Amino acid sequence: MQTSPASSGRDAALRPEPLVRRLLGDGTTIIIAILVVLTVVFAATQSDALSASVLTDILNNSLPLALAAAGGTLVVVTRGFDLSVAGVVSLSNVLVAVHGGSGPLGALEGALIAAGAGAAVGAVNGYFVAYWNLQSIALTLATMIVCSGMTLLILDAPGGDVSDFMTYTMTDRIGGVVPVALAIAVAVYVVWRLLRRTDWGVGLYAAGADETAALLAGVPVRRVKLIAYVLAGVCYGLAGFMLTALTSTGTPNVGEPYLLLAFAAIALGGTSFAGGRGGVAGSMLGALTLTLLQKVLFSTGVSSFYTGIFQGVVMIAAVVVAVLFARIGTRGEAHA
Amino acid sequence: MADALLQPQAAPDAAAPPVLDMRGIARSYGATVAVRRVSFDIRPGEIHALLGENGAGKSTVVKVLSGIVAPDSGTVALNGRPYAPASPMAARAAGVSTAFQELSLLPNLSIAENLLLPRQAKGAAGLVSIAQGEARAAQMLDAYGLGHIHPGVLVRALSLADKQRVEIMRAVARQPRLLVLDEPTAALSDPGWLFEILERITAAGTGVLYISHRLSEVRRLCRRGTVLRNGESIETVSLDGIDDAGIFRLMVGAAARTAQTARREPKREVAEAFGVTHLAGGTVKDITLSVGVGEIVGVAGLEGQGQRDLFRMLAGVMPAGSGQIRVQGRPVRIASPADAARVGIGFVPEERKTEGLFLGLRTDINMTLPVLGRLGRFGVVDRAREQAVVAREAERVDLAARYLKLKIGALSGGNQQKALIGRVLAAGPRHLVLFDPTRGVDVGTKAVIYDLIRAFVDQGGAALVYSTELAELIHLVDRCVVVYGGRVAGEASGDALSEARLVALAAGHGV
Repeated sequence: MQTSPASSGRDAALRPEPLVRRLLGDGTTIIIAILVVLTVVFAATQSDALSASVLTDILNNSLPLALAAAGGTLVVVTRGFDLSVAGVVSLSNVLVAVHGGSGPLGALEGALIAAGAGAAVGAVNGYFVAYWNLQSIALTLATMIVCSGMTLLILDAPGGDVSDFMTYTMTDRIGGVVPVALAIAVAVYVVWRLLRRTDWGVGLYAAGADETAALLAGVPVRRVKLIAYVLAGVCYGLAGFMLTALTSTGTPNVGEPYLLLAFAAIALGGTSFAGGRGGVAGSMLGALTLTLLQKVLFSTGVSSFYTGIFQGVVMIAAVVVAVLFARIGTRGEAHA
Repeated sequence: MADALLQPQAAPDAAAPPVLDMRGIARSYGATVAVRRVSFDIRPGEIHALLGENGAGKSTVVKVLSGIVAPDSGTVALNGRPYAPASPMAARAAGVSTAFQELSLLPNLSIAENLLLPRQAKGAAGLVSIAQGEARAAQMLDAYGLGHIHPGVLVRALSLADKQRVEIMRAVARQPRLLVLDEPTAALSDPGWLFEILERITAAGTGVLYISHRLSEVRRLCRRGTVLRNGESIETVSLDGIDDAGIFRLMVGAAARTAQTARREPKREVAEAFGVTHLAGGTVKDITLSVGVGEIVGVAGLEGQGQRDLFRMLAGVMPAGSGQIRVQGRPVRIASPADAARVGIGFVPEERKTEGLFLGLRTDINMTLPVLGRLGRFGVVDRAREQAVVAREAERVDLAARYLKLKIGALSGGNQQKALIGRVLAAGPRHLVLFDPTRGVDVGTKAVIYDLIRAFVDQGGAALVYSTELAELIHLVDRCVVVYGGRVAGEASGDALSEARLVALAAGHGV
């Protein structure tokens, strides 16, 4: 009673989905569409919208959030929540403002301090979540509070000393052409693509979809999760570092808005909070969208009091469209 | 097909150590003893059956062999060497590979990625190469007769049967010394594919532990089987020397029950309870059928002939494309499970783990979830009434009271299924729609489920049942509709209701 032809040809139904459908089901398609619309509106309402300095400005403003969202994505893919982002951004901000040196080497030192602090917090999060099975929301909420407290011990009021190199060169364009912020964002994305193509990268999605099945298949789920939290912490640290360059000061509670905005960017970018689906690119573009939206509201003369409302509406629209696209994408999927 | 397997396997080499030698294994979870004394051995090239009711300890034996749990006491030897795997990977490295009943594939990864977990094929610079991974996966798929499946497909898009095939194939492709198959044919309506593979690997000396509720398969494949009861291995028997009733007696012990009841009398013309006319949508092309009051109608078919979508449409899980659904003579629109419940249709789904149950909740709460609204006063649930409903339904489905306060995820498959059916019945449906209700449950539970369905229709209900087991349908139903290619290929009732007739219809050689 063999139903399938024993010939070498593979059934049409059992081939990978066609490209159109995969693109529709992929969250980044939506975020790119939103970005294009916003850019067109922005260009239409502001004469110098596409000038190098305005674009650099937008990228600079987006980068800290993009880095934070990129890190958060790693944890969300494992079906976890990492609230420590707010604490780590503040902590690394004051660390860099207080301990960062001058010149390029000083900036590098600052970046290493920020990344190291983030990695340490991430290691604590990851260890307890992965090896002690603690709930990620509860634990990272605690580490966020601890980090905020440590921030006040290091710097109890806005201040610190940020070098000119960081303030000016890090927010400028390389050779007058490529914004530093863009270069960093691309570098982070390239690193992510490389990591995605390691056993850890495949294991990350496996663990996020079904931990038990991943364990049975031999994925070292605990280690995979630990690494995800550590890398997330590094991203938050670098976000704090870039924020220091942008604001040229240390502010103890500067990271607070990042808690919700980072999750907003992740959701906009099409990463599923149910785990196992999504990616870093969408989240970074989501961060860019949230920043660009502010600029567009400003350029169209809408009061800045409306920013939050519009950000929320765009998020709802993105989520709704994502669901609609996913429906179209999976229509006719094998129910057999 | 694998007719060579009907012959006894070649006489085992007396000098070779057994592939597996398990002696006095015990394992408890807290106060619950899962297995207390299990001993058996598997010789090279032998397919050894493990028989027992749900909760007899079969899954714990599988877990011990797969490195998921360690036994509290007892010894296991693999090829004469001590075997105590600390993890699934260690078990695999030692040469034991398992195809799990609750499939262990990742839905969001491609088949190739699943097959190669945890270490993917690497290309330049040590990075994962999708092309190389798919090439290797394609080789594996081709080698095991699954060449029609593209390795780049996400597992999510596969049918349950194909998922099961890939799960089995992954275990076999690791070329183990011992292959553990836990209900490998639960979702396969044609197990010939598996039998051919088993013939091939046993010829090479691999030992196989075969767990199945289908005695006919077990008899065909195995010469010896070990019967488990209440966590103890009762006896290792030569299957040639014992009849089904004898095996059944060993499985249930002194408290033997009668599982076989004579088929019911064919019904005369009866009023229609529910039915569909020219229904289409999804893989259903054009199905017309009708279920009468007091009637059990079966649906048979090879996998993927539209039966799943037919049941999903009746249950409101999937919208009907075109055509008509009637309930008690009136056309109805079933756009959601709530609509289905409103017109009195109760649906027992196929994948209870993902479609039916809340594994993290207690059994009693699982059973009353759909009717909580009716048990309350001013929106607050009346505990006493809730417990009364649970007690009544548990009694009806023969579910022991001690299970009710446990998380349902901790129950065996058969007991979960009883609870699920109890929940569907608690909502008071007039029509039951059951999709493979006895998948992966033991004979005792099967008998309970058959009795339930019969009692349900005797009280004026109507039932539509799909099953992958033809023998079960013949035993249970009044009439059987066979689907093929999304259409009704034929119908059989009375004396024409035979396995041969259904097989012919199902294969498309109708009339």
